[in-house]
This record gives sequence, C-alpha cells and structure tokens, in this order.
Amino acid sequence: MAELHLRVVTPDRTIVDRKVAGVKFQGVDGSYGVLPHHAPLMTAIAHAGAAVITELDGKQGELFVSDGFAQVQNNVLTMVCEAGEFAHEIDLVRVKAAEAKAREKLAGLDRLSADYVLAEASLRKAMMRELLARRSSGTGSI
Amino acid sequence: MANLKELRGRIKSVASIAQITRAMEMVASMKLRKVQAKTQAFRPYVDEIRSMISAIAAKVSGEGDVPLFQAREVKAVGFFVVASDRGLCGSYNSNLLFGLKKKADELLAEGKQVKFWVYGRKAYAWLTRRGFAVERFFVEPPLDKADFTAAKMVGQALVDAFTSGAVDDVRLYFTRFQSMIKFVPTDAPFLPIRTIAVGDKAGEKAYAQDFLLEPDATTVFNRLLPRYLETVVFDAMLQSLTSEQASRRMAMKGATDAAVRMQKGLKKVYNRARQENITKELLDIVGGASAVS
Repeated sequence: MAELHLRVVTPDRTIVDRKVAGVKFQGVDGSYGVLPHHAPLMTAIAHAGAAVITELDGKQGELFVSDGFAQVQNNVLTMVCEAGEFAHEIDLVRVKAAEAKAREKLAGLDRLSADYVLAEASLRKAMMRELLARRSSGTGSI
Repeated sequence: MANLKELRGRIKSVASIAQITRAMEMVASMKLRKVQAKTQAFRPYVDEIRSMISAIAAKVSGEGDVPLFQAREVKAVGFFVVASDRGLCGSYNSNLLFGLKKKADELLAEGKQVKFWVYGRKAYAWLTRRGFAVERFFVEPPLDKADFTAAKMVGQALVDAFTSGAVDDVRLYFTRFQSMIKFVPTDAPFLPIRTIAVGDKAGEKAYAQDFLLEPDATTVFNRLLPRYLETVVFDAMLQSLTSEQASRRMAMKGATDAAVRMQKGLKKVYNRARQENITKELLDIVGGASAVS
C-alpha cells in the first residue's frame, strides 16, 4: 500500500512524524485531500482547521490544527502550525473557558476593528476544538 | 579565645554560603536542561518555517510593496532587549547592557531617537535608572515561562511600532548562546526585513523548484511572514534564556569553589590557633609544675 509521510510540527513539539495512508485538511481556500505521491504543493491552513488522518490500517483520527501551513515535497506532507492537538487530547473544560472569554471579548468590540477579527478567530478555534473533542468522545454534536 | 570563637563562626557562615550557592548551581543546571529541551523541540518548527519562506520568497514578485521590507530614513531606532529577571548570574546582564548603552549613546549622538521594548526586570531597572524611556516592559509571562504566545505578542508589538512609524528600524538586542561557556551579546537587525535567516543553516534541504501554490504566492507569503518574525523573536528569547542559565550556573560554580577554598583556609588558621592555645596551656602547666617541685 502506498504510504505518505506526515509530519505535524508546532513550536512546542513535533506531534506526528510517521507514515499514513492519507490526510484531509482545510486550507484557507477550501478542503484539501492529500494522498501518497501528491504533487509538490504549498498552502496555508485555515485559522481553525481540522485534519483527518487516515492511518495505514484504515482507521481515521482527527487532529486540530490552527494558523499553519502545509507543504508537500517528495511524498512528505509537512504541516507547520502554531497549535495542534489530537481530538482525544482536547480538554473540554479549557475549551469552554476559551470560548466564554472570546465571546465576552467580542461583545464589547466594534465590528470593524482588528481586535474583533482576532477575537472572532479565537472563538472559531474554541468552537472547532469543541466540535472535534465531542465527535471523538462520542458525546454527540453541538 | 575570642579569636577562636570568631573563626568558628566564620567557618560556619562560609560553609552555609557554599551550600546555598551549590543549590543554586543545581537549580540553574536543571533549568538549563529544560530550556535546552525547549530549544530542541522548537528547532524543527524554525527549520520548516525558514525553508518554506525561502522557497516562497523567490516566487513573490514586488517584495518592495510589502511595508515590512521597505527601508526608510531612520529617525528612531527601537531595541528589543532580552535580559534576565533575576541577578546572580555573573556578568550576563552587565555585558549585554553596557554594550547596549554604548549603542544607544552613539545613536543619540547622531540625533536619532532610541526606544526600548524590554524583557527582563534587570534590563528595565537598568535602563530606567539611566534615564532611558522604556516603551513597553513585558512582565507576563515571565521569561523563563515564556512560550511561543509570548513571542507572538512581542512580535506583534514590534511590527505595530514599525508600521505605525513610531520607529524606523527595529533591532533585537539579546545574548547569543555560543557554547556552555561563551555568550555573546548580539545586536541583530529585525525590521525592515533585509534577509531571511534564522537559526543555523545546516538543516537546509533541497526542494523541488516547482510546486503548486494555493491560493497564490502573495497570500501564503503574507501569512507566513508574521510567523517567521515570531520565530526570530522566540529564537532570540530562547538563546538569551539559555545563556542566562548557563551563565548563572557558571557564576554559582565559581562562588561555591571560592567558598570551599575559603573554608579550607579558615580551617587551617583555626586549627593553628587552637594548637597554639593548647601548647601555651601545656607550657603553663609544665612551668607551674616545675616551679612547685
């Protein structure tokens, strides 16, 4: 079976560095699916993105990735992101706190300011995290 | 006799100082290991970001249009200074700050403004005491707990200062960690961007020149640029932190050694004095006995 090498790198650690069967992720301009022997590619990952990894045995795992870039070279997919977590690692309590904080911030801001955009982005991230965490633990969708 | 007692006291106090400095040395080496692990974990990220940006820089036409690349007449220079929060780390802070002072004085003599962004309480205290205005002093999170988010915050503050025109040249002033015993105060240009380089060049990989770029080079480049700047800042912070801990470890080792040496010397003096006393007493007894008989 054809393999693709996946590396997910964040400033704190390298989360994934192994062979997989395929990866799907959200870029800034839409969804990408990368299979083995993909053509060389470079793109930006959505602010709050989710990646679906198909393991070699066909199992699928979800990964939260944010503010990153993806690059395919020589059958290696490198995702360089600021934050990354496996769906089952996500701490719902912390996510909820982040969401509440973002909402609070949003309420007091002018819709056109740069801070509004930032706060909205952090809200999106919190919500994406929550979605992934719930999906992985089987507690239903939002 | 009073002399003996005094010596005993001194020996005791020197011993307890040695104990404290030894403990501090141990703490510093533990922290040093931690920082080095952090640096190690950060390395792949730096390498990736750098290789991506260098791959893409060639594809972006009209770099000159990006404000961060535009050099302009320098009226005000901004320094981002990284020093330590605590003292007792040898000449780490003074080496850095005296160099900085020299630079700042030169710039002031040329009639330019100098502004400071500071990490580390020692640098803040030093600069304010000498009458320099510190634009922003970062306290939260403290440097030894700083993560990438802190670097992001700093990077943002510096970019804002540059784009708003508050400063026309931003430089990083930090201590480069060259080896366990060598730390070099370094003045590195930051903005406007002149060349793209961070970390060591050893990890440079050969990439295919042709690749798909989605949605387009400029979009990706504009998003990559802030990340790149943050890695440069974080790299400076990590190097300074490593230097600080290594420097503290060295200073504390020196202090422990000196205290141990001093203790040995004092002990010799003490023993000699004690022996002298005993001899004197013996002579007295013998002299008294011979006088009686």
